[in-house]
Amino acid sequence: MGDRPRSARQLIMSDHAVAARDGTLFEAVGLAKEYDDGRVPALRGVNFRINRGEFVSIVGPSGCGKTTLLNMLGLLDTPTGGELRYAGAALSQVASPAAYRAREVGFIFQSFHLLPTFTIEENVQIPMFGLPWKRAERKARAVELLEAVGLSHRLGHLPVKLSGGERQRAAIARSLANRPAILLADEPTGNLDSKNAAHIMELLKRLQQEHEATLVLVTHDHEVARHASRLIRMKDGEILSDPANPAAPGP
Amino acid sequence: MTFLEVIFRGLWRRPVRTGLTGLGIAIGIAAFVALVGMSAGYEKGVTSQLDVIGIDVVVSNMQGGIMPKAFDETVRDQVSALPGVAAANATLMQMLSVEDAPMMVVYGREWGSFTWDQLKVLEGRLPRDAAEPAVVLGKLAAEVLGKKTGDKLQIETGEFEVVGIVDGQSVLENGAINLALPRFQEVSGYEDRVNFINVRVPPGTDETQTAALCRQIEEAFPGLRAVKAGDVVGTSQGFQMAQAMSWSTSLLALVVGVLGVMNTMLMSVFERKHEIGVLLALGWKRSRIMALILCESAAMGLLGGVIGVALGALTLAALEMTPMVRGFLEPDLGWPLAVRAILIALAVGVLSGLYPAWRSSRLSPSLALQG
Repeated sequence: MGDRPRSARQLIMSDHAVAARDGTLFEAVGLAKEYDDGRVPALRGVNFRINRGEFVSIVGPSGCGKTTLLNMLGLLDTPTGGELRYAGAALSQVASPAAYRAREVGFIFQSFHLLPTFTIEENVQIPMFGLPWKRAERKARAVELLEAVGLSHRLGHLPVKLSGGERQRAAIARSLANRPAILLADEPTGNLDSKNAAHIMELLKRLQQEHEATLVLVTHDHEVARHASRLIRMKDGEILSDPANPAAPGP
Repeated sequence: MTFLEVIFRGLWRRPVRTGLTGLGIAIGIAAFVALVGMSAGYEKGVTSQLDVIGIDVVVSNMQGGIMPKAFDETVRDQVSALPGVAAANATLMQMLSVEDAPMMVVYGREWGSFTWDQLKVLEGRLPRDAAEPAVVLGKLAAEVLGKKTGDKLQIETGEFEVVGIVDGQSVLENGAINLALPRFQEVSGYEDRVNFINVRVPPGTDETQTAALCRQIEEAFPGLRAVKAGDVVGTSQGFQMAQAMSWSTSLLALVVGVLGVMNTMLMSVFERKHEIGVLLALGWKRSRIMALILCESAAMGLLGGVIGVALGALTLAALEMTPMVRGFLEPDLGWPLAVRAILIALAVGVLSGLYPAWRSSRLSPSLALQG
């Protein structure tokens, strides 16, 4: 079961892209996004690179464009200008955004977004429907992941029966379901108290390292952002500072 | 967890709404099953009656009403004289309110004709001759009227004695009152008039020859129609009208069902916009989301179909017990009708889900996640 996602992943990437995996994972060149026929700019031509295995925090106030950026990395949204490359290949050329999201990306949301009528174990299985796994394989993988996040005693519980911290742990387990190369976390501690937030951040860091995934986290909370190995600051749709790109304007 | 479980979990999300929508389809399907079952029962009843009596051609003066108009009895002798006719006899049939029964079929049969032959006497006897003021009741008619041999029965202006109870070997025969033709003509005001001539052709006559005989009769007697026994129901204007009414009522009920399911599925899609956004973010293809909505809709149709067939069967059973229906027809709910009804319900479900499924596939995941 473990090899399938990796071989499937190669199907959506060019040889060049596969060759570039060990280096730059994402590269944005003049990336822009405008809403309402250009009247509302969300991103104003940002440039950055994110390397494989990095943990990058993007921090900034509400409306600075960080969630828009994260959605573009996950192909939930498309840019109106510039280019975004994934492992050397333009994301706009990806034939199936759904396959990209299923095989490459794991999402973690502020509001958890667990499906209310499914148990925790079933919620973790939901992304696996995008892969040709058998029922028993899906179940085994879900149990394994929920054990890894300390929820093995909650497998048959509905999300409503869980605390906020437990729900986010279940959502993290779900994000890892298909062994993604990238984890995209949007304010993952936004709905948690400080104690639970600290636990979640420790868990995320540990799992990111164990799974050798690239973690991109957006937050307005500097305390959360400092867990990352690299911190990109944004404001009004622009990058204010990026340690990997000294040319970016400083704060 | 399987995809099928995901489908049923989606339906179970709003059990009352799913149940009520399913019930909406069920009522439409029940109406379809009941109406088509009734007309199929009527068709089967008439066909079986003609078959049991051994009638090959029916001559009547059907002009758009439910009952054929009466014509001169002497036509029978002219038809008998035609080449290719082995035997012909005249019948006067009326649907009348008899005593407390709201509607009964009464046959005035020519005494000594072959139409008496299939009546198996269960109790008592047949009339002694054409002059005796006597009736024999089909076994269902006896039940409906609450009569036994020796009782008196008032038909229109005449009083008759029930001399026998018979098994006519078909629903229509069992539900009928039978008496000699002259007696019935006398009390019903149709003296020397009949409304059916029943024709038998010689053994070995093929379909083409029978059809030619029908044409010959129609040419010889303008205004009368001669129809092969197998075509009697299909060419009956009354039956065609009843069938058209049953199909149009069913269609109306099904259109209401389609609109109900479509409304439910659209509401479901709008309510679950956020959930659909999550599924898209988690890598579900739009085609899989469409399949989910379509399958939920189809499952609702199937559920409604199964309940509808059960309700339709109960309705038919209840109708069969009513005096208005009893003795006229035996509702026919066979597997072919049940399967057809369920397939129609399934089609209703799929059809109703098409637009909501298309709407769900157009959702932008980022906007859906924002709520």
